[in-house]
This record gives sequence, C-alpha cells and structure tokens, in this order.
Amino acid sequence: MFSHRWLPLLLVAPLMLLVVLFFYIPVFQAFYWSFFLEQPFGGGSQFVGLENFKRVLSDPEFWMAGWRTIVFMLTASLLAVVVPLMLAIAADRRIALSFPARNILVWPKGVAGASIGVVFAFLFNPFVGLMAPFNTLFPGAWNPGIDGTDAFITLVAAHVWSGIPFNFVILLAGLRSIPHTLTQAAAIDGAGPWRRIFDVQLPLIMPQLFLTFVLEFTESITSVFALIDTITKGGPGGSTTLLVYKIYVDGFSGFDLSGASTQTAILMVFVLLLAACQFFYLGRRINYER
Amino acid sequence: MVAIGTTIRDASADIELIGVTKTYDAKNVVIPPLSVALRPGEFTVILGPSGCGKSTLLQMIAGLERVSGGKILICDREVQDLEPKHRGCAMVFQNYALYPHMTVAENMAYSLKVAGIPKAERNERVAGVAKMLGLSDLLARKPAQLSGGQRQRVAIGRAIIREPGVLLFDEPLSNLDAQLRHDMRVELADLHRRIGATSVFVTHDQVEAMTLADRILILNKGRVEQFDTPKAIYHHPASVFVAKFIGAPPMNILQVTGDGSVLRLPDGQAVANYSGKGSFQLGIRPEDISVNAGGSIKARIRYREDLGSHEILETEIGCQQLRIATPFGVEIDTTSVLSLTFPRGRLHLFDGETGRAIPEAFGTAATTQSMKEYQ
Amino acid sequence: MVEKARSINITATLLLIIGIVYIVGPLYLTLSTASQSYEYMLRNGLAWIPGGELFANMSKVIHETRIPIQMLNSMTVAFSNALATCALSFLSAYAIVYFRIRWAGIVFALILATIMLPLDIRVITTYQVASNIFSPLNAVLDFTGLNSLIADIFGTPVHLELSVLDTRFGLVAPLVAHGTGTFLFRQFFLTLPKDLFKAARMDGAGPIRFLIDILLPLSRTSVASLFVLTFLSGWTQYLWPLVGASTPDMQTAVVGLARLVPDADGQVPDFPMIMAGAVLVSLVPLAMIALLQRYLVQGLVLSEK
Repeated sequence: MFSHRWLPLLLVAPLMLLVVLFFYIPVFQAFYWSFFLEQPFGGGSQFVGLENFKRVLSDPEFWMAGWRTIVFMLTASLLAVVVPLMLAIAADRRIALSFPARNILVWPKGVAGASIGVVFAFLFNPFVGLMAPFNTLFPGAWNPGIDGTDAFITLVAAHVWSGIPFNFVILLAGLRSIPHTLTQAAAIDGAGPWRRIFDVQLPLIMPQLFLTFVLEFTESITSVFALIDTITKGGPGGSTTLLVYKIYVDGFSGFDLSGASTQTAILMVFVLLLAACQFFYLGRRINYER
Repeated sequence: MVAIGTTIRDASADIELIGVTKTYDAKNVVIPPLSVALRPGEFTVILGPSGCGKSTLLQMIAGLERVSGGKILICDREVQDLEPKHRGCAMVFQNYALYPHMTVAENMAYSLKVAGIPKAERNERVAGVAKMLGLSDLLARKPAQLSGGQRQRVAIGRAIIREPGVLLFDEPLSNLDAQLRHDMRVELADLHRRIGATSVFVTHDQVEAMTLADRILILNKGRVEQFDTPKAIYHHPASVFVAKFIGAPPMNILQVTGDGSVLRLPDGQAVANYSGKGSFQLGIRPEDISVNAGGSIKARIRYREDLGSHEILETEIGCQQLRIATPFGVEIDTTSVLSLTFPRGRLHLFDGETGRAIPEAFGTAATTQSMKEYQ
Repeated sequence: MVEKARSINITATLLLIIGIVYIVGPLYLTLSTASQSYEYMLRNGLAWIPGGELFANMSKVIHETRIPIQMLNSMTVAFSNALATCALSFLSAYAIVYFRIRWAGIVFALILATIMLPLDIRVITTYQVASNIFSPLNAVLDFTGLNSLIADIFGTPVHLELSVLDTRFGLVAPLVAHGTGTFLFRQFFLTLPKDLFKAARMDGAGPIRFLIDILLPLSRTSVASLFVLTFLSGWTQYLWPLVGASTPDMQTAVVGLARLVPDADGQVPDFPMIMAGAVLVSLVPLAMIALLQRYLVQGLVLSEK
C-alpha cells in the first residue's frame, strides 16, 4: 500500500465534504431540531426538551400514518420480493421465454416512480381506466378516489412494478451462482426440479433474499413518496398518508419544521432499528460460506 | 419402465454402452459411436487428457447429460432415457458438491430422505456409513467447517449410503494435495473391495488409473484407444497415444525406416532387426534401455537429472530425443557419446501413419485377448 | 439433464408471461393511449389499440408545456450525478483501499452509512442545509463563541449565506452524497490481484501513475456500470428535485410530468397528452437500458456484493 501523508486526504475530501454537508448535518439537524421549537425558515429557536415528541406522539394522525407505513412496508415489500423471486426462479430455467424475460423485467428501472405513478393513476382511474367497464356493471365497485383500500392497492401495485428490476436481478444472480454440480448432485440424490427449489435453491439464495428484504423495507417506506404524490396525494381522507408524505406535507405546506423534524428523527430511528434487528437476528443465522 | 427407486441392494450392476454418441452439432462431435461393456463389480478408470470426452461419458451414464444416440444398459435395463434417480447410480463430484446449508449427517441422508425412507432407518444408515468412513464425530458440522479430505469422505459417504449398484467418480481426488490424494487412493481401493459396487472413475492422472483400476479405458478425442488391465496397457500399449500417455517419464518414440531387414534411424543407425518395409514408429521405455560399453547404438548426452533413486538422461539420437532412466551411480561423462542396447523383447513397434501397434513384431504378444473382445 | 420437467417448465413459462404482461402492459397502454385523441379517450376510456395521434399529442407536450427544457434539466442532473458519483467514489475508494491510512475503516463506515437513510427520509433538514450551505459554519461560529469575539472586534458577527436551491449544483450534490459508488469500487478493487499493485510498484509507478495507468483501465466496466446506474437514478429522482427547484424552468422532467396532472377533481384530465409526456420522459432512460443493459445488470449485482 502507498504511504502518503496528504494525498489520500485529498482523494476522499470531495466526497466526504458532500457526505458531511448533505447527510450527516441534515441527520444531526433532524435530531437537534426535535428538541427545539423552530420558527419556520429563519427566526429564532427555543429549546423545549421533549415537548415536540409529546406533541407528535399524542397526535392520532401520526400514529395512523405510522401504522399505515408499517402495513404498507409489510405488504408491499413482501410482494416486491416474492414476485421477483418467483420470476427469477422461472427465468433461471432453460426455457424459451427466459432470455426475453431477463431483458424485459429490468425495464422499470428506467421509469421514474413518479412517471409510473402518473400512469397507474390513469390505469386505475375509475372512469376511464382498466376498471371502468367493471364499474359500469357494478357502480362504485372500484374507486381509489373514494375507497382508501382501492387507493392502497393501487400504491402497492405500482410499488411492486417499480421494485421488480433490482430484486429480480439480485435474486437471479444468486440462483445462477449456485454451482451446477450441486444441482446435479441433488438430481442424482433423487430430488426433482420442484423439490430442488425448496431444498437447494431457496436455502442457497438466503443471503440474497435477506439482502433484498433489508433494502426493500427501507425502500418501500421512502420511495413510496413519488407514488403517493402522483397517485393519491395522501387521500382519500388521509387513508394513504404514509409517514414520508406526512413529513413532507407538515414541513413544506404546514411549515411545522419542529414537528416534521421530530417525525423525521422517529422515522430514522425506526429504519435503523429495523435494519439492525434484521442484521443481528436474521443475518447471523443464514450467513454461511459456500 | 421399471421404477426401482434409488437403491439397488446387494446388486452390483454391469454397464453396457452400445454405440453411444454425443454431438452438439454436426461439427462438434464430442463422442463418436462408442461401445464398451463393464463387468459387475469391476473398477473401471476412464483415463484421458482434458477434453477427451471422459467426463461427458460419465455424465451420460449418470443421466446428467443426454445421449445423442445409442443405448446405455445397466443390469440389462435400458436407462438412457431414464432420469438420474431411476438409474441406481451414485456419484462423487470433483468439487464434492456438498450442500453447504446442511450438516454432514443431512448431506449424507438427503437421498434417503427424498426416497421417503423413515427417519430412524436414515439415522441408522448414516451412523453406519459415518463409522466406516471415520466421520462419526463430524456429523453435526457444516461442510464449510471440514477439511478437504473430510469433505471428500462426506461426498463418498453420501454416494455409498444408498448402496448403489453403480458408483461414479468424476475426478474426485484432483482437489486434494499430494499426500492426501495418496491416502484417499488407498482408502478408495479398500472401500471398493468392501462394498464391491461397479465403479467408474474418471481421471487424467495415470497414477490413479494404474493403482485403482481393474481395467483402464483410455479415451482420446472420444474414441477408445485401449481398454485393458493396467499391466497390459503398460506392457502392451495399443497405440503411440497410449504409449506416450502411460508411464513416467513416457515411452520414447523414434521415427524409423525399415528396409526389409533392419530398422534404421534417419541418421542411418540400425536399431533393430525387422522384416517390414516402410516407415514405423519404434517405442522403448526409458527404463528398458541399457547403457553398456558394448552397445551398438550411439546417443549424445545433453543433460542429466538426478532423482535420487535413479537418473534420467536426456540424450539425442539422430536429431530425435531419447530419454534413458538408469540406476543411480552409473558413472557417465556428460560430454561423451553413450553406447546403448535396446533389448529386443522390450521394443514396441507402431505403424508409421496410424500409430496403432503392430502386434508380435518382435515375437511378443502385443495385444491381449480382451482387446479383441471389446473393440 | 435427462429429466421430466414439463410441469415446472409450463408453470415457469406461465409465470414469465404474467410477469412480462405486468411490466409491459402499463407501458403499452401508456403508448397506445398517448396515440389517441382526448375525445376518443372520453368515449372509450383507455386505448387498447394504438391510434394516429401520437405525434400530435407529443407536439402538444413539446409546445404547450415546459417538458422539453425540463428534459434538458434532467439530462444535466442525471449526467452530472453519474459523472460526479463515478469520479468522487472512485477516488475515495482508491484512497481507502490502496493507502496505508489508519482512518480508512472509519471513513468507509461513514460513507457506507449513507445507504441506510435515503435522501427522501431526511428531505426536510437537507432542504434547510441547501437553503444556506454555510449555516453549519455559522452555527459552529456561534456555538464556539468565536462569533461574539468577532463581533467585539469587527462590530458585526459573521453570518455567511449561500443558497444552492434552484441551482443545478443544489439539485445534484445531495444525490452524490451517497455510499453505493464507493462500496462498489472498494469491492472491485479488493478482487484485483494484490500482485498487480506490487508489480506496478516494482515498475516504479507512484500513486497517480498507478491510478491512471493501471486501475482506471481495469475498472472500465465497473465505471460504466456505476455510470448507468447513477444516471438512471438521477433521471428518476422525484422528491429532491421537487423541493430543490421551485421554478418550472429549473425542475426536472419527472417533476414536470407529475405537474401535468391537474390537482382539481372534476373534469377528466387530458390523459392522452399526459401519457405522451410520460412516453417522452421515459424515452431517454429506457433507450439507455436497451443499449447498456449489460452494464445496468452488472451494476445492480455489483452494488449488492
């Protein structure tokens, strides 16, 4: 390795500067402000101790948004991993469709969440969208503009659509890295292709499966902002107001910086705890050498 | 189709390949039609250089590769279209192919579990095999916690636990270091004596082939060069290819011309009496050449390698290379010209073009009975 | 392998068909609706078959909206994001892997931690920092009492102000403050044989020469993968460009597209035009995926290892 006094410093300085300025200071500030009452955009600030937390935690809206966030996280990320998993197992087989599928299934990576949000808002529009004919038969059967569940389903469908490429590619790469001889050994041991899925393939891609879950949990509760803002705007009646969206509305429309920072701080702690739990409890059990 | 499950008890199968071929396309022929028969309980080693098709052949027997044509019979049953699990073969892979997420015991018991054998019997059989292979203390470990030799044992245990009629080995010793390879070789030979399953062992290592095999099948570009006992292959190679492949250092091959009474090197030296005319290849093993002052054949010495037990002399004879293995301690002047004798009984004569052996050229039987039988 | 796999192959084919329809269906309906007139849509709802109005709708988008200039903005943001991320990550990973420095582990951990908390979560306070990037400095001066000292001497305390909101730098910089690139290059450098470094040193190559002559050429595909990945991520950003730029002429195309949908309920929006906008906005990244798919897939896999 090179020994040099100032060159390595110079090399990491630009990135570290950006990381400190746009990551560590904002993260620190979110926690800092959660203990202060801040006047919106300038003006003085006043130390209020845990007042902000008391205010946020006694707000039923916050708990509702938090609950919806957890429900969305569990349903959307589960689907966003399981659907690509099934597709990856299918595309790993030597069949005619597997090659085109490997190509097509990464396309959503090029479509912004907000763009697909706009598209899904149209596709699930009760009057002109996919369900319009259905609605003429059974009036009011589908209306994400009124029915919170319908709106929620639309969000999940759009999220899974966007999440397919990354998870599909990671899981397929995992499947393809399973040594060929292991499959052959299982075949000689008498395990057919269905049985090998559960006895060989799934256990061996546990590291990838674990990773996609860890990333997907965070991803599902943050990137959903673009979908909410373009599909439901948090409605109807707040039924799709997840925490990220509530923070944005409180901060940028309600100018409640202290409240928004406090909620940000709580969300950050939640995300970090979640990741930590997954790493300590799940990660330890399924990491093995190949 | 007779579904016989995954175990053939107490039976040692015979394997017959009839006109088996493997082609990927018209130009890419891995194995041209090939027919051999392996006897029950026999340990056959398929030996050849890399790319000769030996692994493909093994995989076709196992059912891991489809045959492009021909029939494979195990115990007189056509199996070429059966799935691997219905063929009654077990296999030991080159990289062991142990399931990394299962313990040693689970690895060995997996085929029994798939076959639906009750847990109690599984445990019993695992214990038995583990005892035989000295794995009893390791049953709860994962493969990652084992040494190379231990993994190798587990891979063997996994194969023999089903009591298969046929045991297939795909270069199983090539990942081990020299000492361990030797020990495993001895163990394998011993194991085969005890369980007696018909075994097919693929390798490119001639020492493994010579020490383990009942019979060696030498493969070159998908064709059988020779199929015979190690002794016969060593003493009576059927072709130049076999002659050069077996023995370390390999047999010397000299280009000679016959004038009707004598075989001559290109520089005019006569090396042997022979009545044939035309060009031939003359083979003699380095250890069969004797260096003596009375020898009529002259070779110029280029350099010598001292191997402790004996010496290898690199010499030149009429622009051709000739290796001589001499007992240690023979005093030779490096600058001198050596006088050699080629004992007539140790000479091998091959056709100049085809490289096939010319039997009984010098009055000895160069082919054996089994050659005629199986070719 | 000799194996009866009919049932599983049929199931797999069916699954892939469903998956492909799920992915391509919305894209196709976007395109087909974009090629119909507003009146056709009012009468028939979404269009299952393409019509002839695609270019009319697109020209409506191009002439009546800010999408064209916003696409230029997107291009700038995506390109600078990709370039800056590749360059800065490469340099920092180089320092971390190839220099004997005690703080390498800490720096790497600090950079890597950024992956845990995405920009969307910390948008409120990032916005505050961007509105005056000297605010941390001011706070430090205030906090340490330096400022009162300065006020005593010069009459006024130091209060610097520089907002990067509504600037291209402001749109890009927070996106670059991310650890994936450093992680990707570090992993790649660690896979290179150690003897390569030793050989280069024996040949007399110093740090800069080794970087330019050896490391950079070897990393070509990794750089390309990261470039594609960060370009796409820059193009598809939504929340940050939404708050980081307040005038339509500074916003990115994705934000502009979302703004095409009227907020008010009531009249059915001009979906064919909006869909034409969606097609336009997605054209560049989709073309990139089509052309550079290999690098995208490799980038996704590398960023995970």
